[in-house]
Amino acid sequence: MAEAMIEFREVTKRYGGLIANDRFSLSVQSGELMTLLGPSGCGKTTALRCLTGILRPDTGHIFLDGKEVTELPTHQRELGMVFQNFALFPHMTVLENVAFPLMIRKMARGEREQLATEALRLVRLDGYLGHAPRQLSGGQQQRVGLARALVYRPKVLLLDEPLSNLDAKLREEMRFEIKEVVTRLGITAMYVTHDQGEALALSDRVAIMNKGRLEQLGTPEEIYETPRSRFVAEFIGLSNFLDGIVQSVEGAQMILGASGVQVTTVALPGAAPGRKALLFIRPNEIPLLSADANMTASFAAKVEKVTYLGDTMDYRVRLGDGAELRVQTESAKRFHPGENVRIVLPKVRCWLKE
Amino acid sequence: MSLARAYARGLWDGRLVLGYTLLLSFALFIIAPFLMIALRSVGKGWFGRLWLPPQLTLDWYRWAIEVGNIPEVMKNTLIIGIIAVALSTGIGICAGWAFGRRQLPGKEILMAVILLPRMIPPITYALGVAKIFYALNLVDTHLGVAIAHVSVCAPYAILVLSATFEGLDERVIEAAGVCGANALKRFFYVILPLIMPGILASMIFSFTHSYNEFTLTLLTYGPHTVTLPVRTYLAVGDGYWEITSAMAVIMVVPSLVILAMIQRRAKPEKLVGGFKGV
Amino acid sequence: MTDFWRTRKSVLTTLLLLFPALACFFGLFLYPMLLTVVLSFRPEGQEVGWTLANYTQFLTDPDGRWVILLTFILALGSTALSVLLSVPLSLLLRAKLSGHRWYRLFVLVPLVIPGLIGALGLLLFWGPRGWFNLFLLRFVPFVSRPVPVNYTMHGLILCYVWLYFPYTCVTTLSALESLDPGIEEAGAVSGADSWQVLRHVVLPLIMPGILAGSVLTFMAAFGAFSVPLIAGGNYRPLPVEVYKQISIPIPAHWSAASAIAIIMGVLQVVFLALYMRLARRTHGTS
Repeated sequence: MAEAMIEFREVTKRYGGLIANDRFSLSVQSGELMTLLGPSGCGKTTALRCLTGILRPDTGHIFLDGKEVTELPTHQRELGMVFQNFALFPHMTVLENVAFPLMIRKMARGEREQLATEALRLVRLDGYLGHAPRQLSGGQQQRVGLARALVYRPKVLLLDEPLSNLDAKLREEMRFEIKEVVTRLGITAMYVTHDQGEALALSDRVAIMNKGRLEQLGTPEEIYETPRSRFVAEFIGLSNFLDGIVQSVEGAQMILGASGVQVTTVALPGAAPGRKALLFIRPNEIPLLSADANMTASFAAKVEKVTYLGDTMDYRVRLGDGAELRVQTESAKRFHPGENVRIVLPKVRCWLKE
Repeated sequence: MSLARAYARGLWDGRLVLGYTLLLSFALFIIAPFLMIALRSVGKGWFGRLWLPPQLTLDWYRWAIEVGNIPEVMKNTLIIGIIAVALSTGIGICAGWAFGRRQLPGKEILMAVILLPRMIPPITYALGVAKIFYALNLVDTHLGVAIAHVSVCAPYAILVLSATFEGLDERVIEAAGVCGANALKRFFYVILPLIMPGILASMIFSFTHSYNEFTLTLLTYGPHTVTLPVRTYLAVGDGYWEITSAMAVIMVVPSLVILAMIQRRAKPEKLVGGFKGV
Repeated sequence: MTDFWRTRKSVLTTLLLLFPALACFFGLFLYPMLLTVVLSFRPEGQEVGWTLANYTQFLTDPDGRWVILLTFILALGSTALSVLLSVPLSLLLRAKLSGHRWYRLFVLVPLVIPGLIGALGLLLFWGPRGWFNLFLLRFVPFVSRPVPVNYTMHGLILCYVWLYFPYTCVTTLSALESLDPGIEEAGAVSGADSWQVLRHVVLPLIMPGILAGSVLTFMAAFGAFSVPLIAGGNYRPLPVEVYKQISIPIPAHWSAASAIAIIMGVLQVVFLALYMRLARRTHGTS
C-alpha cells in the first residue's frame, strides 16, 4: 500500500462549544488531487488550517509524507498554498512576491529571480514581473499566488476556495489551468470548496464533509451515482426523496412502495417487509410520458408547475397521495400545468431507516 | 489563553511570558501616576522612604474645598463647559449637515482646513486669541473663556457630526416619506432619533475637551473664571503636593468615568482627531 | 429657470450651514495667527512700525537657539520612544491576550486627562520619594541615593512619552488590525517564521500607519505646554518660553512672545512638510 502523502488521523478541533472537526480521518495519496467538499461550517477549512499549522488540533495527528507534523510550526511544513483572496504582498512587485519564499530560504538574488521568473512563465505572467499586485486582474493575481506557492517545489499544494473570488467564466478557465499545472508537476493537491461543480470536475477523489465529519469519500462518479447518505445525495446534484416501506424481499431484490409507486431495487442487508425506507431519485432520471402511454411500471402523476430553463424543462409533478417530485427533461417534449402524465422510475436508490 | 494555562500545559512558551510581562509593565506605567496622586491626596505624614502613607486623612480635600475654593472653581468649569458645548454642538450640527449631506466640492480639503487647529498646539494661536480678547473685553468672562474653548472643541464636534450625518441613510427618510410622513414628522420621528447618538457623542467629546483645556484658559482667564485645570496649576506653584493631588483627583475622576462609559461605543480614532490625508 | 435658482439656493444654504464653522476657524484661529504674525514684527509695546528685532533678538541669543534645539530634542526623543513602545505594544494588543480590553483602555487614558495631571502624577512617581526611587533603593544593590529623574531632560521626555504615545499607538494598532491575516498566513506557509513575517511583511505594510501616528505625537510633543510648565524645571521649550514672555515681564512682552510663537509655528510646518515628503518618498503614494 503506497504511503499517503497527507494523512489526518482522528483530528478533533473545537471552537468554544462548537466542534469544527470531529475525529476527522483522511488519507491523500501521492500525486492525487483530493477535494474537501461541503457546506459552510462543515469543517473543511478548519481541516485545511490544521494541515497548514495555523490551527493546532485538540486531539489527533497529522502526517505529511510520513512525518508527523501535528505540532510543527507552519513555516517548517514545506507546503504550498493558494488563498481565496489571493493574499499577495501588496508592497512587493509580482516578481518579489514569487521570489519571497526563496528569499526566506536564503537563496542568492540572481538565482531566486530566475526561478521566480520561470514559475511565472509557467502561469503565463512573465510579462508582468515589475507590476504591483493591485494592477492585476483577479485571475492574474490568483495565478501569481499559484506561482508563489509552487516556486519552491513543495510536495503538497493546498488550495483554499481559490476560485470563489473570480467571476463565473474565469472560474472555468482557471479550473483547467490549475488541474493542468498540478498534473504536469505531479504534485499532491488538496482542494477546499463548497462548489460541487468544481469538485466533480477537478478531483481524483472527493471527501464530502458535514458537521466536522467525513460523510463520504470516493471518486466523483461514486459520489454522484451512489451517495451513501441523504446529506450527500442532497448536496450533490438535484434530488427527490420519498418515504416508503419495504413490501417484500425476494432473493437479491426487494420491492418498495412509496406514495402509490412501486419500485424494485437491490436488496439491502436487514431489509424485511414493513421496514421503513427512504427513496432517492434524481430529477433528470425520471422519464415523463403522456397519459395515454402504455408502459408497464409507469405511474400516474399530475403536472403542477412548469418552468422553462432553456435547454431543460423543470416540472413539479404530484403523485397520487400528494407527494411532489421534481422532474427535469429536455425541452423538446413539453407538458402543461394540470396535464396528467405518467412517470417511470428506472433508477432508484434507497436507504433503510431505523 | 491565560498565563496559568500556559504553565499548566507544560509549554514554557517564552514569548508568552515575555508578552504578559511587557503588558503588565505597561499597565503599571499608565496607572502609576494616578495611584501616586490618589495616595498623596489622602496621605498624612508621608515623609521618608515608605511605599504607602502611614495615615489616611481627608484633610487635604477639606482644605481644597474650603480654602482652595473648589466648589466655585467647579462651578466656573461647568458653566464654561456648558457654553462651550452648546456653541460647539451648534457649529458642529451646521457644518456636519453641510459635510455629510450636501454637495460640496473640495470636501476633503475643507475638512482638513477646519481641523487644522487641532493639529497645531494651542499655544501658537492662543496668543492672538488673548490679544483679541483683551481688546474685546472678553478676558475673565465665562463667555470669553468658553469661546476660546470652542476653537478646540468645535473641530471634534464637526468631525463626529459629519460622520453622523454622512451615515444618515437617505433611503430611510425617503421610506418615511413614502409611508406618509411630512417634513416635520420625518424630522422628529426619523432624523432626530438617528442623529441623537452622534449629537450626544459630540457633546461628550466637546465637554471633555473644555473640561481639560488648560493652555487657552491660562491665557484668557481671570480671578472670576478660574477653572479646575488652572486652579490645579496654581496649587502646583504653591508647592503643596498633597493639596494639588487632592484637586487633581477631583478633576480627573469624572474624565475617567466618562472614558469608561464611552469606550464601549466610540472608536479611539475619533479621540485622536482622525486627521485624514496625513 | 427654476433649476438655476434652485442651485443658487442650494449653494447658499450650504454656505450658510458652513458659516459658523468658518467663522470659528477664521475668528479663533486664522485671525489670531495673523495678529500674532503682525505683532511679531512690531517694536515691543508699540502699535505701529515694523522691525525684525524680535526675531533677531531671539535667534541670535544663544539661549534662544538652545530653546529651539531643546524643543526638537524633546519632541524627537519622545516620538522615537513612542514608536519603540507602540509597535511591540500594538503587536501584543492584537494578539488579544487575556485582559486585552483593559490594556486597550489604558492606551486611551493619557488622551483624556490634561497634560497637567499626568505630569503631576509622573513627578510624584519619579520623585525622590516616589515609588520608582523607592524600588531602586530597596531592590537594586548599587543604588544608594535617589536617582534624579524629575526636572531632567530624560525625565521630561518620559513625561512626553506617557502623554503622547497613544497617538502613535492607536494608529499603529489600527493599521495592524486592518491587515489581511491571509497575507501573514501566506508568508508563514512560504517558509517565513514569525520574525521574518514581521520584518518583511507586517512592518512594511503598517509603516504608513506608524508614520501618521508619530507625526501626531511629534506635533503634540513639540507644542507641549502644560507639561514643561510644571515639570520642566530649568528646561523651557518654545511654548513655555512664549508664555514666560507675557507672564513674567511687566508690561508683557507681546511682540517677543509673538515672534517666538511664529518661529515655533514655522518650524512645525517645515518639519511636517519634510516629514511628509520623506514618508511619501520611501513608501510611494500614501
